Amino acid sequence: MSILSVENLKAHYVTEKRRKITRVLAVDGVTFHINKNEIYGIAGESGCGKSTLLKAMSGLIKPPLQVLEGEVKYHFDDRELDILALRGEKERREIRGARISHIPQGSMSVLNPVRRIRKSFEDIVGTHLGIRGGSEFEELVKSHIEALGLDWNVMHSFPHQLSGGMRQRITIALATILKPDVIFADEPTTALDVVVQRGVVQLIKKIKQEQQNTMVIVTHDLAIHANLCDRLAIMYAGRIVEEANVDDMFQTPKHPYTEMLLNSLPTLGDRSVRESAPGAPPSLVNPPSGCRFHPRCPKVMEKCRLEVPELIEVESGHQVACFLQEGRVYEQTRELGANYH
Amino acid sequence: MSKLESSARTTIETKSNAQKLLQVKNLTKVFTKGQGLVRSTILAVNDVSFSLELDRPEIFTVAGESGSGKSTVAKLILGFEVPTSGIIQYKGEELSTLRGKKEFMKDVQPVFQNPFETFNPLKKVESYFHETQKNFGMSKKNGDVAERCLELVGLSFREISGKYPNEMSGGQLQRASIARALITNPSLLIVDEPVSMIDASLRMSVINLFKKFKEEQGVSIIYITHDLATAYYVSDRISIMLRGQIVEIGSVKKVLDQPLHPYTQLLKSSVPLPDPANRWTKEIALSDMEAKEYGQKGCKFSGRCPHVMEICRVREPDYFEVDERYVKCYLYESGSGQSAV
Repeated sequence: MSILSVENLKAHYVTEKRRKITRVLAVDGVTFHINKNEIYGIAGESGCGKSTLLKAMSGLIKPPLQVLEGEVKYHFDDRELDILALRGEKERREIRGARISHIPQGSMSVLNPVRRIRKSFEDIVGTHLGIRGGSEFEELVKSHIEALGLDWNVMHSFPHQLSGGMRQRITIALATILKPDVIFADEPTTALDVVVQRGVVQLIKKIKQEQQNTMVIVTHDLAIHANLCDRLAIMYAGRIVEEANVDDMFQTPKHPYTEMLLNSLPTLGDRSVRESAPGAPPSLVNPPSGCRFHPRCPKVMEKCRLEVPELIEVESGHQVACFLQEGRVYEQTRELGANYH
Repeated sequence: MSKLESSARTTIETKSNAQKLLQVKNLTKVFTKGQGLVRSTILAVNDVSFSLELDRPEIFTVAGESGSGKSTVAKLILGFEVPTSGIIQYKGEELSTLRGKKEFMKDVQPVFQNPFETFNPLKKVESYFHETQKNFGMSKKNGDVAERCLELVGLSFREISGKYPNEMSGGQLQRASIARALITNPSLLIVDEPVSMIDASLRMSVINLFKKFKEEQGVSIIYITHDLATAYYVSDRISIMLRGQIVEIGSVKKVLDQPLHPYTQLLKSSVPLPDPANRWTKEIALSDMEAKEYGQKGCKFSGRCPHVMEICRVREPDYFEVDERYVKCYLYESGSGQSAV
C-alpha cells in the first residue's frame, strides 16, 4: 500500500531579470509511489534536482520555486492529504513534525547555538503535544533518547560542546520524537566520518524498526543506499531514469547511467581499472533534448536525441527510462504474440 | 615537554640507504588555543615519520578521519606551517632552509580540496596559468606549457580561456587546478581530498589522472584522504592516522586487505560497500570521546579498543614490524601478532 504518491511532478525555479525569464527545470515530470513501511532511496549527483524533489514532497514551495504541474498525495491511515493544496501555514505546520519530518544535512545549522539541547526538545514537544516541561516531558524525551542510545546528560549541553556525529544523532532524535509517519532524510551521513556514518545508519535502522515508519533517504552515496534502502530511484537531470528494489538495482542495472555510476565505484579488495563517463551532468537551465543523458551515453541512438523515453516497467518492480529497454520489451511482446498465434 | 622527548625514541627505520625524495622524521605540531588561564594545547601531529624514495615514484596515502592531523601533515610539508619539532628533509635538504625558495615551490606542488575556493572568483582561470609560468620564470609563450598540461588532464586551453571559475563545473575546475600544479613539472604533488567535492560520476576521471602521472611522468604523490576505497584503488603505500599519530603503515594491499591495528580494522569495517548483499549486520559501540582521545595517555585508541590491555592505557606502544608493515600496537609486540586477533 502506498503512503505517498507523486504524479508527474514539475517543479521549476523561475526568476526574472531585465524581462528575461530564466527557468531551472529542477524536477521535470517525476512519478513514483512510496510504500508504507519501506525505506525508499533517491540517488543522484549534485544538481540533479533531488533536494528540490524533497522540498516539493514536504510542501516547502517558496518563490522562486514553483510547482507547474502534478501532485503530491499522502495516504495516511485516517486521511488523504494533498500537501501542495494546503494553503494555510498553520495547517502545514501541524503536518510537519507530527506526520512528516525532516532530518537535515548540516546538523550545526539546525540546533540553535545559544540554547541548550533541552530547549530544542521543549520547543518541538511543546508546540505539537502541548507538554511544556515537568515530569511528563522528561519521561517522554528520556525514553526516546535512551532508546536511541543517547545519554540524558547531553540535554544540558550546548551544540558546540558536542561532536559532529553526536549533533547529527541529536538532530535525528529531534526529528523522530513525535513518531512521524514519513521521515525525509537529506544527505544524513554526508560530511561525517566513516565510523560515525556507520553509527548514524545504525540509528536510522533502529528508529525504523521501533517506530515502523516510512523513510525517504536522499543521498549521492550509493554505498549508503545499498546498506539502508529497500527500493531505490536514480535521478538524472530532473528526472527519474531508473527505479527498482535495491538488490536488482545493484545486480542488474539497466539504464546506461546507472551502469556507469555503479561501474565507477571503487571497492576495497578490487583494484581493477574504473572509468568515469565522459562529459559532465548538464545544466538544468538548458538541458539536452530527448533523453537528457544522451550526450554522455555510450549506447546513444538517433531516437534518443529527439524523443523523451518514458519510465516503463521491464521486469516486475524494475522501471527504466531508456529506449534500449523499450526495444527489448517490444521484442519480448512480439515473441509472446508470435507464440500466441 | 617530556612526552615529546620520550616519544622521539620511536622511529620507523627505513632499510635501504637510497637517497630520499622526502624524509619526515618525528614530525610534531602543537597548536595552542586561547590565552592565559584558558590556554590549551592540541597535539595535531604527534611524532609522525615516513619517507618517499627518490627513484621510485609512488602514491602514498595518508588516511584518517577528521581531526586525525592528516591535513596538518600536508601543510607542514608544503611549508605553510612550521613544525614544533621533528625533521622534514626534501632531497636531503632541511625544509627550514628551503621554505619559500623557488626551486622547492617549483618541485613540490599542492592541489586542494575545493576548486571553487582554490581559485579567486574574480580572476580568470587562465591567469593562474600565466602567473605560475611567470613566477617560476618559464617560457613566456603562453599556451605552450599550459596547453600540454591541460591536455594531460583532458582539457584544452581553448576550454578555459576567458572563463571565470563559476563558468566551469567542479570536475573541470579541479582538473584545471591539477593542470596548474603540473606546469612547473614537479617531482612531488601533495593532494588534499582532491575528489571529495566532485560528483560521483566524474570522481574516477580525476583519480585515474594521479595514476597516469605516476606511471607516465614519474611524479610522486602524497594523497590525503578519508576515503579508503579510492586509496585502495590508487595508492601503493598507506599510513593510517589516529589523533595525530600513524598507527599502521605499509603497502596498501597488506594494510587494507588484512588490517592489523584494531583501529584500522574498525575503519575498514565502517566503509560502506556498494552491495546490498553485504550490509552491516553487527552493531558498533558509539563513542563520544573524540575530543578526549587527544589527551589520552598510552595508546590513543585504548578507550574504544576491543582488545585493550592494562599496558595500553599506561604506556604508548612502539612500532612493531609485522608482515611487511609497521603497527603501533602491543598486540604485535612479539613480532608474530597474527594469532592475537
